Amino acid sequence: MLVMTHLQKVYRTHLIETHALRDFSIHVGEGEFVAVTGPSGSGKTTFLNIAGLLEEFTGGEYKLDGVDVGGMNDAERSRLRNEKIGFIFQGFNLIPDLNLFDNVDVPLRYRGFDAAERKRRIEESLTRVGLASRMKHYPSELSGGQQQRVAIARALAGSPRLLLADEPTGNLDSLMARGVMELLEEINRQGTTIVMVTHDPELAARAQRNVHVMDGQVTDLGEAPRFRKTPHAAAATA
Amino acid sequence: MEIRPILSALMRSKVALVLIGVQIALTLAIVCNALFIISQRIDKMGRPSGMDEANTFEVGSLGFGAAFDMRTTVQQDLATLRGLPGVQDVTPINRVPMGEAGWSTGIQLQPAQKTATTSTAIYFVDEHALDAMGVKLAAGRNFRADEIGFEPDFRNNGWPPVVIITKALAERLFPGQDAVGKQFYLGKDQPPQTVIGVVERLQAPWLDWKEVEYSTLIPQIRPYSTDIRYVVRAQPGRRDEVMKLAEAKLGEINRSRLVRNVESMEKVRAEGYRADRAMTIILCIVIVCLLTITALGIVGMASFWVTQRTKQIGTRRALGATQFDILRYFLTENFLITSLGLAAGAVLTYAFNVWLMTHYEAPRLPWYYVPVGFLCLWTLGQIAVLGPATRASRVPPAVATRSV
Amino acid sequence: MFGYYLQLGLRSLRRNPVLTALMVLGIALGIAASMTSLTLFHMMGSDPIPWKSDKLHYVQMDNWDPNQPYGSDGSPPDQVTYRDAVALMQAGKADRQAAMFRVMLPVQPENPEVKPYLAVGRATFADFFAMFEPPFEYGGPWDHGADAQHARVMVLSHDTNEKLFGGQNSVGRKVRANDVDYTVVGVLKEWRPRVKFFDLSSGPFYEMEDAYLPFNTAIELQMQSVGNNSCWNNFGDGWDAYLQSDCIWIQFWAQLDSSSRLAEYKSFLDSYVGEQKKLGRFQRPLNNRLPDVNQWLANQKVVPKDVTVQVWLAFAFLAVCLINTVGLLLAKFIRKSGEIGLRRALGASRGQLFAQHVVESGVIGISGGLIGLLFTAFGLMLVRALYENYQNVAHLDWTMVATTVLLAIGAAVLAGLFPTWRACQTAPAAQLKTQ
Repeated sequence: MLVMTHLQKVYRTHLIETHALRDFSIHVGEGEFVAVTGPSGSGKTTFLNIAGLLEEFTGGEYKLDGVDVGGMNDAERSRLRNEKIGFIFQGFNLIPDLNLFDNVDVPLRYRGFDAAERKRRIEESLTRVGLASRMKHYPSELSGGQQQRVAIARALAGSPRLLLADEPTGNLDSLMARGVMELLEEINRQGTTIVMVTHDPELAARAQRNVHVMDGQVTDLGEAPRFRKTPHAAAATA
Repeated sequence: MEIRPILSALMRSKVALVLIGVQIALTLAIVCNALFIISQRIDKMGRPSGMDEANTFEVGSLGFGAAFDMRTTVQQDLATLRGLPGVQDVTPINRVPMGEAGWSTGIQLQPAQKTATTSTAIYFVDEHALDAMGVKLAAGRNFRADEIGFEPDFRNNGWPPVVIITKALAERLFPGQDAVGKQFYLGKDQPPQTVIGVVERLQAPWLDWKEVEYSTLIPQIRPYSTDIRYVVRAQPGRRDEVMKLAEAKLGEINRSRLVRNVESMEKVRAEGYRADRAMTIILCIVIVCLLTITALGIVGMASFWVTQRTKQIGTRRALGATQFDILRYFLTENFLITSLGLAAGAVLTYAFNVWLMTHYEAPRLPWYYVPVGFLCLWTLGQIAVLGPATRASRVPPAVATRSV
Repeated sequence: MFGYYLQLGLRSLRRNPVLTALMVLGIALGIAASMTSLTLFHMMGSDPIPWKSDKLHYVQMDNWDPNQPYGSDGSPPDQVTYRDAVALMQAGKADRQAAMFRVMLPVQPENPEVKPYLAVGRATFADFFAMFEPPFEYGGPWDHGADAQHARVMVLSHDTNEKLFGGQNSVGRKVRANDVDYTVVGVLKEWRPRVKFFDLSSGPFYEMEDAYLPFNTAIELQMQSVGNNSCWNNFGDGWDAYLQSDCIWIQFWAQLDSSSRLAEYKSFLDSYVGEQKKLGRFQRPLNNRLPDVNQWLANQKVVPKDVTVQVWLAFAFLAVCLINTVGLLLAKFIRKSGEIGLRRALGASRGQLFAQHVVESGVIGISGGLIGLLFTAFGLMLVRALYENYQNVAHLDWTMVATTVLLAIGAAVLAGLFPTWRACQTAPAAQLKTQ
């Protein structure tokens, strides 16, 4: 699904070069739920931005769903992002001027679906996160957990192959965080690949596999060993 | 494509919408009406006087002292001026067209008529007038030398039997007929005047007069007290040189008078239309300032919105919007705001026009001003928002993952 | 506290210089446009002689064509005939009265270095000076005796005295005009009423006269009026026939010091016209009018339509500029909502924050007003250059300067009120939470 080989990302100012990623290689398979952990400044966010085609990389190779994204122009990257990737942000990033329906509608508009198709998808995804009844509400009228569920609905509406989550529970209290986490696990069970960046080891432990990033390099690959929960095991065998 | 969500987002910030909308509406109303006034003034200023303005000038003489004699002065002046090198022809005249001062009188078609049919400007000239002013004879004939009289007291009645009138006056007095040979009355209880010629055009001295195209030429030299004027036509291209020469020569040959009002007809025209030109310039300045302020206002508000929505733009980019999508979003948004303002502005424009019509006798605004105004302001809005919108489209999508 | 707010305001304005410049420029342009046109309007339309404008009355009597009124609205003629002017002067029923007309005076200076030139004179009566109160530099007006004796006397304008006598006291000196010697009895200081209200016949902003001489002297010397001269019927040949004609060419003013005097004069005029009707004149219905200065100026539409239209346009323009500023301030203050929340959290009351931002708008207003004042001066310069004879009306006086600055501050504070209110609305916690 997501293959990065010897990826490099160098930020250049006129004074210094910063290596955000150096020789970064990772392989995320179809249907996996991977947690990326690491300390602040280790390159987690850079990895996520590149994975989500938000930023370009300066060296190496990145194949998304078998497609080499190196050298793509902005429009092609936008298109790819729109079709294959769903985003969930730490700060939810809902558009405050739009109601829930219109918020979920945003990526679908760029996708170019017709009105009926968009409506079906919006309603379906909002139902999936349990907020179908509040379609006409504005983000400011919702709790943090609810906002993040709308963001998840928005990410899902376009049926992405890959869901990228950036500290999805960072702004939530533990109760709400658990709800969001369960939702993500549910989504993963239904076949969507999830890559989640987090610094919370407890959260990371709920993923299938953990990737640890340190100084812009992948230093530890392996199955998340502890706290393995049975539902996941069941899903893995399913 | 995405009008409804943009609109509903706009509706969430009604104040900004109202502010820009009202601004656009007022701008449209002011610009349309101001442009209309300008176009009327330009039409007015473009009216020909009927004279060969480029080559003619006026020169005045005011006599003083016991020794001054008007009749010999005029004879001597005319002979001198006509003998100057570069002079094509000269006529004495009481006051010149477009000069804002002169003589007017009523015309009656019947001797017993109680009120005048119309008013006309009166020019007292001799048989050289048509050539000296560069006026084209359209029908009939010019005055003959033996028809020219001399009337030393301008207050006296006594209108001569023949006159030349302008085409516009002829059409007013004798619509659809040949005016040559027709008669009318300039004075009550006096013999009639016969039209012997019709000139293409010769304007009255008063440019705001509604009878401005009605002029009558009288074959008579009639000074106003000791004041007389001459219209001199120079050979093409020699006006300025002849002007200087004429002023000097007239001063030399008679010390008992003041030579004054030596002015080219182009200068007379400029003075006559001064208020109209002033209004035109002032309105142009107002329009330019207004459009600049409105455009800068749009730039300012749009920049603010872009800054305020940086995160939102990043999110949209993360969700798959291309740079062009973002650009289009802001252009569409501006188009919608402008359109709302313009809709209100159209109403305001006509209200303003109606107000001008009732209070200032302005004509009705032609229909095409408002649509043209729409196009202009749409364009202005799109150009103004292009800068901020381009900046918005360059917002990197990675902004979405930044925490602040 | 005000000092602190001022300091904060200035710092905040420095933070976005482009935005600040835009706002200041907007206010300045709007203010300049409206003040330029308003100055013209004010100078043209306001009372030129406020201390006695209600006492000075212009005399109108309807001696016009029985078949056709003078004005299309039925108004009586705007000047009077020689016969009537003389009759009213002789009757002397007003507290003061003066008939007047404009004449040409070809001046022949003693000094051979100054070439003969054309001066414009006002032929009038001694009361003219007491009625319209031009300031004297030297000497004074001629007396009623000089009126009666057709004396060859003159009052010179300041400029004429400069030109002929180098500005020295010329009382008692001679001025020769059209071969007649006049003795100077008085010299005026600069006298430039904004509107030449005592004679509107050549336009309300026409140049003032160069010299004043007795009416009767001018008539004796058969000086022709150079103002408007309108006749409606035939009359015999020659100067005397002209004087006896129904041609109108004289302005007649009466000073009436109380409303009872006004009523008395009105009835005197009515009986005068009644007597004239018996002689076969004044065949139109009785239509005497005695407008005071302001009524007369309004009646003669002294303020050109163009100027009124310009005032309306300019204020619409100011409205656009203000709305523009409201928008920009709103943008600016809302962007600052984080700071506002922080200040609230640190204990500032809503009122204090409000005051702070009103001061900030006020600073924009003052800057806009001062620059606007500069622009207004340019605007008036432009107006003077564009129009003829607008020198006396197109300049700023202290009232207008004060009005400009106050208008600018008022406008900016007004423009700042709503954005300030909006910015101070949100609860402090909400703004802190959203980073």
